[in-house]
Amino acid sequence: MNIKNICVTLVAFIGLTNANAQYNPLKIPDTLSGTVFNLTVRDTFKQFLPGNQTITAGVNGDFWGPTLIFNQGDTVHINLQSELNDSTTMHWHGMHLPAVMDGGPHQVIPPGTLWQPYWKIDNKATTFWYHPHLHHHTEEQLSLGAGGMIIVRDAEEAALPLPRTYGVDDLPLALTSRKFDAFNAIDYTSSHYGDTMLVNGTLNPQVTLPKQFVRLRILNAEMERGYNLGFSDNRTFWVIGNDGGLLNAPVALTRVPIMVGERVEILVDLGADAIGSNVNLMAYNAGHPLGFPGAEPGTTGPFGSLLNNRNFNILNIVVGATTTGAITSLPATLVTNIYPTAADATLTRNLLVTDGTPGTAFRFDNTDFDLDNINHHVVKGTTEMWTVKNNNIFGHSFHIHDVQFKIVSRSSGAIAAYESGWKDSYYLKIGETVSFVAKFEDYADPLHPFMYHCHFAPHEDGGMMGQFTVEDPSQVPTIGSKGATFTLYPNPASTRLFFSFDDPSAKAYYVTVSNAIGRTLLMLPRPELKNGIDISNFPPGMYVVQLIDEKTKGTVTRKFVKE
Amino acid sequence: MKKSLLNLSLLLVLFLTLGFVPDNNESNYDFRLKNVDGKYVSLKDYPDAKGFIIIFTCNHCPFAKLYPPRFNDINTRYKKLGVPLIAISSSDTIIYSDDSYPKMVRKAKAGKYNFPYLYDNLQTVARNYDAQKTPHAYVIWKENGKWVVKYNGGIDDNGKHPELVTKHYLTDALDALLAGKEVALKETKSIGCKISFR
Ligand SMILES: [Cu+2]
Repeated sequence: MNIKNICVTLVAFIGLTNANAQYNPLKIPDTLSGTVFNLTVRDTFKQFLPGNQTITAGVNGDFWGPTLIFNQGDTVHINLQSELNDSTTMHWHGMHLPAVMDGGPHQVIPPGTLWQPYWKIDNKATTFWYHPHLHHHTEEQLSLGAGGMIIVRDAEEAALPLPRTYGVDDLPLALTSRKFDAFNAIDYTSSHYGDTMLVNGTLNPQVTLPKQFVRLRILNAEMERGYNLGFSDNRTFWVIGNDGGLLNAPVALTRVPIMVGERVEILVDLGADAIGSNVNLMAYNAGHPLGFPGAEPGTTGPFGSLLNNRNFNILNIVVGATTTGAITSLPATLVTNIYPTAADATLTRNLLVTDGTPGTAFRFDNTDFDLDNINHHVVKGTTEMWTVKNNNIFGHSFHIHDVQFKIVSRSSGAIAAYESGWKDSYYLKIGETVSFVAKFEDYADPLHPFMYHCHFAPHEDGGMMGQFTVEDPSQVPTIGSKGATFTLYPNPASTRLFFSFDDPSAKAYYVTVSNAIGRTLLMLPRPELKNGIDISNFPPGMYVVQLIDEKTKGTVTRKFVKE
Repeated sequence: MKKSLLNLSLLLVLFLTLGFVPDNNESNYDFRLKNVDGKYVSLKDYPDAKGFIIIFTCNHCPFAKLYPPRFNDINTRYKKLGVPLIAISSSDTIIYSDDSYPKMVRKAKAGKYNFPYLYDNLQTVARNYDAQKTPHAYVIWKENGKWVVKYNGGIDDNGKHPELVTKHYLTDALDALLAGKEVALKETKSIGCKISFR
């Protein structure tokens, strides 16, 4: 009881930070770059509060993983090793990639397994993120800290006079909040809203930024809360990018809302600030109508939080010395985007938000989410309009995998300039109907679907999700047909295992390697088998290779012995 | 179909090679499990014990790794008072190869464990105790010839920094029981890695 009271007081204190607050230096996640990315997700712990450590799930660390730097045009190879005490998945949010690499709820990675997706980066320069997407467990695993940011760079962006020195004038800011229980454990069950802000996993953070234009890549990495962002002195800032790329030109604002899953890149001019002065990045979350996530009045219960319906500090910024090569002026224009329009769509799909009355989970179209049911079949090459209607009881954050889209209408009024760019997630307000247009140009796969869902973790876990396949009518697999036959060599093998197909044109869609007692060791989507696969770390024993054929999607199993 | 066959044969393999013997004659809290010295350990082997400290732990969990020196210390202090400490690993060793029996043997040797470290290969004992995390501590006490749980939860309130511990949940419970008093805090949250049940 005593511990609990102290904790609540502490939490309240942190929430009500003022000039006397004790700040912690903002964590700037390490970067990983190149074309091969080694990520290990595991149960671990972090010292968040005085007293006991907090159990977390970290990627290459204790809470919130490294920032991955991808270059457009590169093919990136991910080695995702899971050492979590549960199955997981890892989704590359916003990236355009084959469904089988996407890390949605179908690509379940059991504990102890290495998953090796790879894909060619064809997204534009902007900010993405990665996070677990295991059905029913997204809130739990994301709450524990599994996830991180992705920065894509391209030539068009590189040619612009924009801040881009990571950690100096170009910062990733992952915004979220957590509730800690009396034992300092992260409480993701009693409320979907946290009581204390975390930026990049730092409680009550402070950062020194140079006296010049700085670029903040802001991600709403929450479970449900939205943020209405602004600065404590109400200064103007400029939105330069949305989820999927830079805008045509900077958009001047003093407030910008950001819902779960969305990213916004902003430029802030600190050039006129005195060195040593302070300004806070704030959430102006007081006074929003019901339906804005976090506007609820209560501090307790499943939607209670000490941060609800309040304005609160996110990040304390101290102005430091100007750096060499500083950006000191605002570019008038950015890039030239050619967006699809409503007139380009040759097909319209209508989605309806249903259910969600107290005691029931939100759904789409009165349909339970079912991993085995494809809700929509999209023909490859089609430009479609998706219209989502929410004449329901709360707001949502609608997210679709595979594509970046353009919002073409909002029933509540004009589309704001700050969300006029490429999007993969948007705020679907209460009582609103929103249409977007996207082209589903490639990556046809009749087996693996892409997801669309509300990105509020409790809504998604509760089944406010559906799935679609992109299909190529000229390439329909014959159901029940046999997979390509192959032999494994050498057998026994010691370092590398090679595949020899009876039909030299055969390709693998998926290869899984398990040991004799059924433990999965390797999950290889569309493996490039010509150089074999590395088995040098396997303990000696018998192993089972299951191969799904690319053309027929039939399965063939072979065994080998590791010496 | 294939999968259940595989599981069945897996169980069979474990059963045959590791020789788990369920014990139905005692209360649910007793067990007979293989220790890192190769011998089997059961509560009945300690006829003079007033109670036991049963700790579910494992090799691989980063948080559980912080505790063995404290287990040695607690066992030194309380074994001679009639309350020995017994550690049990109920980890799913198919998934966590670091928790395999040979690696338990190595870990106990390297950590100079002065307490039994038992291999709950079928996770039955963890299920009987309803253990959730590693580490997860229980104090059981003999009452009217039956074992009764008197404390269940964490060991103390600081895993990483033993020198900063302010609440000794486990030893406070032991001290109360040895003084013939009620345990004040009978249950706390066990902090650690989730035990992944098969
Ligand atoms: Cu929702």
